[in-house]
Amino acid sequence: MPDIGKAAVIGAGQMGSAIAAHVASAGVPVVLLDIVPEGADNRNELAEGAIAAMLKATPAPFMHRSSARLITPGNLEDDTGLLSDADWICEAVVEDLDVKQKVYRAADSARKAGSIVTSNTSTIPLSRLVEGMPEPFASDFAITHFFNPPRYMRLLEFVPGPNTRSEVSDSIREFCDVRLGKEVVRAKDTPGFIGNRIGIYWSYVAMSEAIALGLTVEEADAVVGPPMGIPKTGIFGLVDLTGIDLAPKVNATMLAMLPPEDAFCREFDTEGPLVSLLSDMVADGYIGRKGKGGFYRMLRDGTARELQARDIETGEYRAVSKPRLDSVEATKDSGLRALVEHPDKGGRYAWHVLSRVLAYAASLVPDVAEAISDIDRAMTSGYGWKFGPLEMIDQLGCDWFADQLKAEGREIPPLLDAAAGRPLYRQVKRDVQQLSPEGEYGTFEASPDAWRLADMKRNREPITRNGSASLWDVGDGVACLEFHTKMNAIDDGTIDMVREAATIHERGYKALIIGHDGDDFSVGANVGIALFAANAAMWALIERKLSEGQQAFLALKYAPFPVVGAPAGMALGGGCEIMMHCDAVQAHAETYIGLVETGVGLVPGWGGTKELITRTFARKGRPGGPMPPVLDTFETISLAKVSGSAREALDLHYLGPQDGITMNRCRVLADAKARALSLVEGYEPPPSPEISLPGPSGRATLTLVVDDVVRRGKATAYDRVVAGALADVVTGGETDVTRSLDEHRLLALERKAFMALIRRTKTLDRIEHMLDTGKPLRN
Amino acid sequence: MTAYHAPLRDHRFVLHELLQVERYRNIPAFADAARETVDSVLEEGGRMAEEVLFPLNRSGDEEGCHFEDGVVTTPHGFKDAYRTYREAGWVGLEGNPEHGGAGLPQIVATSVGEMAGSANLSFETYAGLTMGAAHTIDTHGDDAQRETYLPKMFTGEWGGTMNLTEPHCGTDLGLLRTRAEPREDGTYRITGTKIFISAGEHDLTENIIHLVLARISGAPTGTRGISLFIVPKFLTGPDGGPGERNAVTCGSIEQKMGIKASATCVMNYDGATAYLLGEENRGLRAMFTMMNRARLGVGVQGLALGEIAYQNAAAYAKERLQGRALSGSTSPGSAADPIIVHPDVRRMLMTMRAFTEGGRALALWTAFALDMSRHDPDERARRDAEDLVSLITPVVKAYLTDMGFETANLGLQVHGGAGYIRETGVEQFVRDARITQIYEGTNGVQALDLVGRKIPAHYGRALRQVFHPIDQFIADAAEDEDLRDMAGLLGKSFGRLQLATAWIGEQGLKDPEQAGGGSRDYLRLFALVVVGYLWARMAQTARDALGRGTDERAFYEAKLATANFFLTRMLPDTSSLLSKIMSGKDAMMALEAEQF
Repeated sequence: MPDIGKAAVIGAGQMGSAIAAHVASAGVPVVLLDIVPEGADNRNELAEGAIAAMLKATPAPFMHRSSARLITPGNLEDDTGLLSDADWICEAVVEDLDVKQKVYRAADSARKAGSIVTSNTSTIPLSRLVEGMPEPFASDFAITHFFNPPRYMRLLEFVPGPNTRSEVSDSIREFCDVRLGKEVVRAKDTPGFIGNRIGIYWSYVAMSEAIALGLTVEEADAVVGPPMGIPKTGIFGLVDLTGIDLAPKVNATMLAMLPPEDAFCREFDTEGPLVSLLSDMVADGYIGRKGKGGFYRMLRDGTARELQARDIETGEYRAVSKPRLDSVEATKDSGLRALVEHPDKGGRYAWHVLSRVLAYAASLVPDVAEAISDIDRAMTSGYGWKFGPLEMIDQLGCDWFADQLKAEGREIPPLLDAAAGRPLYRQVKRDVQQLSPEGEYGTFEASPDAWRLADMKRNREPITRNGSASLWDVGDGVACLEFHTKMNAIDDGTIDMVREAATIHERGYKALIIGHDGDDFSVGANVGIALFAANAAMWALIERKLSEGQQAFLALKYAPFPVVGAPAGMALGGGCEIMMHCDAVQAHAETYIGLVETGVGLVPGWGGTKELITRTFARKGRPGGPMPPVLDTFETISLAKVSGSAREALDLHYLGPQDGITMNRCRVLADAKARALSLVEGYEPPPSPEISLPGPSGRATLTLVVDDVVRRGKATAYDRVVAGALADVVTGGETDVTRSLDEHRLLALERKAFMALIRRTKTLDRIEHMLDTGKPLRN
Repeated sequence: MTAYHAPLRDHRFVLHELLQVERYRNIPAFADAARETVDSVLEEGGRMAEEVLFPLNRSGDEEGCHFEDGVVTTPHGFKDAYRTYREAGWVGLEGNPEHGGAGLPQIVATSVGEMAGSANLSFETYAGLTMGAAHTIDTHGDDAQRETYLPKMFTGEWGGTMNLTEPHCGTDLGLLRTRAEPREDGTYRITGTKIFISAGEHDLTENIIHLVLARISGAPTGTRGISLFIVPKFLTGPDGGPGERNAVTCGSIEQKMGIKASATCVMNYDGATAYLLGEENRGLRAMFTMMNRARLGVGVQGLALGEIAYQNAAAYAKERLQGRALSGSTSPGSAADPIIVHPDVRRMLMTMRAFTEGGRALALWTAFALDMSRHDPDERARRDAEDLVSLITPVVKAYLTDMGFETANLGLQVHGGAGYIRETGVEQFVRDARITQIYEGTNGVQALDLVGRKIPAHYGRALRQVFHPIDQFIADAAEDEDLRDMAGLLGKSFGRLQLATAWIGEQGLKDPEQAGGGSRDYLRLFALVVVGYLWARMAQTARDALGRGTDERAFYEAKLATANFFLTRMLPDTSSLLSKIMSGKDAMMALEAEQF
C-alpha cells in the first residue's frame, strides 16, 4: 500500500483551503492551487490569501500556526508541476462538472503514475466525474467528502468507483483515518451520499412539520434537539448556522438528483409555507448568523443584548422564551419513546419528524450504504447526533416502530420487515452484531489499533470501581483508569482510584493508561466541593484533600510500571496535573490543555506548578539561568493559558518530547496502550527532580512584571494577589540559587499558596462564578 | 398570679454592647437610632407592654374571641388597649417613613415586639400581621397602592392579614384553588375559601387589608401560577377612608388551645374585588420576600414566651420554701429553704435563662442583618446580609419556638403542682408557645428549608456569613487567656457542625432522604453552635466591660456565668446530635408505611 507523503489540494475556496490546512496539521506537506484571478498582480493570490485568512480565522483551521509553512501556494497555470510528486491530489473546486473535469485533465497530465486523485464533491456522482476520463485516471480516482469545517467535523464519506483500484481505496482510507483522524464511512455513489441525504430530508421535515403543527422555533428546537440526542441547535438554530440562503439551493439540488419516487421528492411541497418562508427571509437579508440573523437574532442596544426568535407566522422578532413542554420533561426520565408517545404538541411533533426520518434512513440500506452502522456513524460523526437513526429505532423498539407505521398505513422499509421484530443491533457476549438487509446478524470486528473503552468494557466487570472512576483490563497486561464523573471532574473518588491505580502491579498488571471515551478527559478538580468546604470554613479538610491529591499523583509518577495518559478534549486544571505526572502522554490532536486555576483565583495545587517548572527547567536547549524558566512558567500559569490543540501544548510545555499525538479519536487508547507496552521493558521510574530557584530576588522581578500589567489596566488588583501567591511558588519561597529544592518542598509551597488564596472572598467569588456561568470572573 | 418586667437591661446589652448598632448611624435607616432614642423607645415599649398589654393577657385567654353573624369581637378591654397602643405610634414603628411609618430599624421593632409578645401574645399578633402585610405592599406594590394603604396601616387605623392556607392546601401552596378572574377595569374578582387566617376579622380597626394568594384563570398549575392580591374589607371611598363593603366575610373562628384572644378565621371570598399586587404569577415570590420577616417574628414569639416563663419561674423558685439544700440549709431560720437551692431547679432556671438571653442575641443579630440587607449602602454588603438572613431564618424560627416551648414547659415544672393549676397562669405560656412551633411553617418544614434549600444554595455561599466569623472568632479567642476555654468548647461543637454540614451537603445531592432524616437534628446543632458563638461573644463583651471597670459587676458576672452554663451544659448536645445525624435515615425509615 503506497504511503502518502505529500498531498495537493486544488481549489483554495473555504473547503479546499481548510482541507489543505488540516493535511498540513497532520504534518504532511501540501500544495494548494487555484486559478489566477483576472488581472491579478499576485498570480497566487487565491491560495496565499486563503492561507493568510486561515491564520486569523476562528475556529482555527490549523492545529498550530507553524503548519501553514507546510502549505505551498500556487496557481493552476504556472504550478501544475508541483503536482508531479504528490501522492494524493484532492479536488475541491466549484460543483460544476465541466470545471472539475478540466481540473482533472490538468492534474492527470501533471501527476505521477499511481498517485491518487479524489474529489470533495457533495453533489456530483462519481460516475459523472470520471465519464470520458482515461481509464488509468478512473482507477486512481475516488470521492473523499469532507464536512465543514474539516478540522473539527469527524465524518469523511469515502466513495470509490467501480474501477477504483483497491490499493487506492486502502491507501486513502488509511491516510484519512490514521493521519487525518477522520471517521471514514464508506458510502455508495448516490446523491448526497449518506449524511446529507438524511440531513437534508431531516431538515425539511423538521422545519415543515414545525410550521404545520404551529410550534415556535424555540419549541421545535427544544424537541428536535437534546431529547433526541441531537445538538441543542435543533433545526432552526442549525439552519441559522449553516446559512438560510443555502437551504433552498441544497433542496433544489437534491430534488434534481434524486429519483422522483424518493420520499424527499414525493413529500417536498414546492408551493408550501416553508419554501416561501425561506425565500422571504433570504430576500429580507435574514440569512442566518453570517447575516443580520435568521430564525434567531441577537439584538444589541449599547451594551444590552437580547436574543430574539422569529415568529414564523408574523415574521416579528421577540425575546426568546424558554419552552416548557411536558413531553421534553418526560424524555429525561423515560427516554425517546416517552417523547414520541406524549400527547402534547412537542410529542406529536417529535413523532411526525422521527417516524418519517427514521423510516427514511432505514430505507436507505443497502442502496446508499452497505451496513446500517455506516448510516449511524455518518449521522453521529457528521451531524453530531448522539445516536444514529437506526439506533433510535432500537430505542423506540424496532417492532413497536414497525407496528406504529403499519397502524398509520405507512410504508414499512424492507429492513424493518427483515428485522421481523428483532432489534437492529444486538449484543452477543462481548460482541456487537448488526442486522443486514437480508435479516442476518453480522459481528463488528474491533480493530486492535482502533477501539473505544466501551469495546473493552462490554460484558465485563471492572477490576475495581467507585462512583467516580474505574479500572479496566484492556488486555496484554495493561489496565486503564477511566473517569466517569460529570465532565470528568476530579473528586475524592477519583483520587481514591488514582491511588488504587498506582498499585495495579500488585494485581499482575505491567502498565497503566489513563483515558476514556468521554468528550473531555477532565475539566479539573470538582471546585464545587472545594467551594462548599471553603464556605463552611473547613480549612483543615481542604488542605488534607490537597495533600492527598499530591500524594496520589506522586504515587502514579513513581509507580514501578509505566503510566501513559490518553487525553482528548479538555484536560484542564487537575486534569492537566494528572496527565503531567504520567511517564508519557498520547494525546488526541484535539486536546485542550491548561493549568487554569488562576481563573478561579487559585494556583495549581496538585503538583501542576511543580511539574511545569521542573519540566521547563529540564528542557534541552533552554536559555541559561534560573529566571527564563521561572518567567515562562509564571506566564503560562498566571495567564491560565490553554492550548488550542495538542500540538500547541508542546509550546506551552504541558506536553514534552516524550509525548505523542494521535489524530483519530478512536485510536487514542490503542496508541496509548502501545506506548505503555513499549515502555515496559527495563522500566525505571523517573528520578526525583531537584532544582534551584531564585527565591525573593526572583519574586521581586515577577512583582515588577505584574505591577506593570496591573498599571496598564490589563489585570485587576486581585489578579495581582493571585499572581503574587503563584510567584511565591515558582520562585521557590525563601530560598536562593545556591540551594536546591526537592519535589516535596515545591509541593509544600503549592499548598501554602493555595490555602492562602482559598480563604479569600474574591477567590470564592471567582469559583462560584465559574461554576454558575462556565466563565472566569474578572474581579 | 404571673408578673412581667420588660428585660430592658438585657436588650440594651445586646443592642448597644454586643451589636453596637450605634456604629451604623451613617446608614440612613439608623440615623435616628441614637442610643438615647433607642433606650427611650425601649423604655416606653416596655411600659406599654407591662401596663397596657400584660393586664389583658390572662383575661383574654379566659374569654377568647366571640363570633356572631360574621362579626368577630375581641375580648373585653382589647379595643381600648389597641386604641392606646396605636395612638402611641407602636404599630408602624419600623414602617417606611415616606409613607407615614416611624422608620426605626427592624432591630428596634424586634425588641419591642418581644416585649409585647411576652406581655400578651394574642394582642401582639394583630399589629404584627398588619406590619407583615404593609411590608409586602411596600415592597411589591405600586406608588398608588403604597399611598392608599400604607399610611393607614402604619397608624394602625387599618389592619392587615395574609391569606395563604386553604382547607386542602397548607404547606403545599401549589395545590391552591382560590380563583381570580380579571375584569375589564384591571381589577379582579376573587372567589374561594381561606382558613386559619389570623386577624381575618375583628373589631380593632375600621378596615382590614387582606393579602390573598389566588390563581388567575388560565394560569399554569402548581406554584408557577399563583398571584398575590390586595382585597380590602371595605373598598376605599372617595375620601380615602373605608367605602363600600367588599364581598369578603368571616365564616367562623377556630377554637384553639392557645393564643385564644387572637381571632383565627375562615374567610370566604365571593367575587370580592381584588387588586393585583406585584406581577402576575409571581405571587409566591412576593410572599417569600416576606417570609423571612414573618418567620423571625414568630421565632421572637417563642423567645417572648420563654422570657415571661423564666421570670415567673425564677420568682417562684426564690419564694417557694420546701425542703433543705443538699449541702446544708441556706435559711436555717425558716421552716424550709427556697427551692432555688436545688441543683435540679438551678438546671431548669439556668437552661431557661441561657436560652432567653442567648435567643435574644440570636433574634436581634438576625433582625440587624435584615436591616443591613435592606439598607446597607454597599450592594455586596446587602447581598451578604441577605445571605445571612436567608440561612438563619429557619433556624431562628424553629429553634426559638422549640426552645420557647421547652422553656415555658420548664417554667411550669419549676412551679410543681401549682404549675398545672390554671389560676397560677403559667400553663397559658405552654399552650401559647405550642402553637408557635407549628404556624408560619412547621418547624419540620423549617428544617427541610435549611438543609434542602438554604445550605446547598450557591454551593453553600450563605454558610460563609456564619461559619467564617465563627472560625475567625475561635482562632482569635484561642489566643486570649480568658476566652481560651470557651473557644475550645465552641471549637469542638463548631467542628461537629462542619462535619455534619459536609455530610448534609454530600448526602443532599445523592439521597435527599438522608439529609431529610437528619434535618431536625441538624437545625438544632446549627442553632446551638450559632447561639454558642453569640454567647462566647457576649462573654467577651462582659469580660471587657468588667475589665474597664463598672458599677454593674453583678450584671456582667451573671453574663459570664450564664455563658459558661450554655457552653458547658447546653452546647455539648451537639455531640449526640452529630451521632444521630450521621446515622442517616435507615433507623427511621425501616418500617413500611403499612406497618404503622
